[in-house]
Amino acid sequence: MDRKKFDMSVKENADSHTVYVSGELDLAVAAQFRSVIEPLLPSDKEVILNMRDLSYIDSTGMGIIIFFLKERNEGGKALSVENVPQKIKKLFDLTGITRFLPVHDGSSAAKADGV
Amino acid sequence: MISEPKRIFLSLPAEAECIDIARLTLYGISSQMGFSYEDIEDMKVAVAEACNNVVLHAYQEVEQGTIDLEFIAGDAELTITVSDSGASFPYDQAAHAGIPYEGKSLEDISAGGLGIYLMQALMDRVEMEQESGSKVVLTKYRTGASD
Repeated sequence: MDRKKFDMSVKENADSHTVYVSGELDLAVAAQFRSVIEPLLPSDKEVILNMRDLSYIDSTGMGIIIFFLKERNEGGKALSVENVPQKIKKLFDLTGITRFLPVHDGSSAAKADGV
Repeated sequence: MISEPKRIFLSLPAEAECIDIARLTLYGISSQMGFSYEDIEDMKVAVAEACNNVVLHAYQEVEQGTIDLEFIAGDAELTITVSDSGASFPYDQAAHAGIPYEGKSLEDISAGGLGIYLMQALMDRVEMEQESGSKVVLTKYRTGASD
């Protein structure tokens, strides 16, 4: 069982901010998640959520992502995801968030499943 | 042969940091019962959502409340009851609040009701009761289990 504690870090590139989220994103760490991403919302650069090491997400985490999506969308700015693990993608598909979450098109071809 | 269901009780402080313990307990019980990895992941999300509702809504008027979980491990199914003795959560109003987001624009969607939707989508049966506090009864059948 994957028991990695929640952690996140931000890497700034020339044209994007990549936010690496790992471990379990739930109610207990929702405020931390929000506080790290909120300052990036006005940025003109693309914001990419890299979920490669995310092992769990609950409705609180998804709710914050929806909030970020709406904020970025209002400003006409991009928010995308990359390396979405299958079990996280299942929840995004189930709720229908997937269609609002573009998969970041990096140097290699973007895959629809984000893995 | 049908054996007597095993009953396991867990009472946790109604704090976000303790929901993890509910997920871990569920993992232990459902693994022992032979549930598939995917079913265990589904149940983890559903149980945590029921606990989230207790932490977020049940005890706003009191200092310290509890999340009370009862796991009933039957031959073919696991039933998890998540209850509290706080303020009733208006489950009926929140249920199916426009989720899934098919045919909607981003401006029109809201995160409200996501937790309840997930419980209903990931479990085989979900029952909600409000008496003295709220109670959610979640049931998952073991795939391929004999009668």
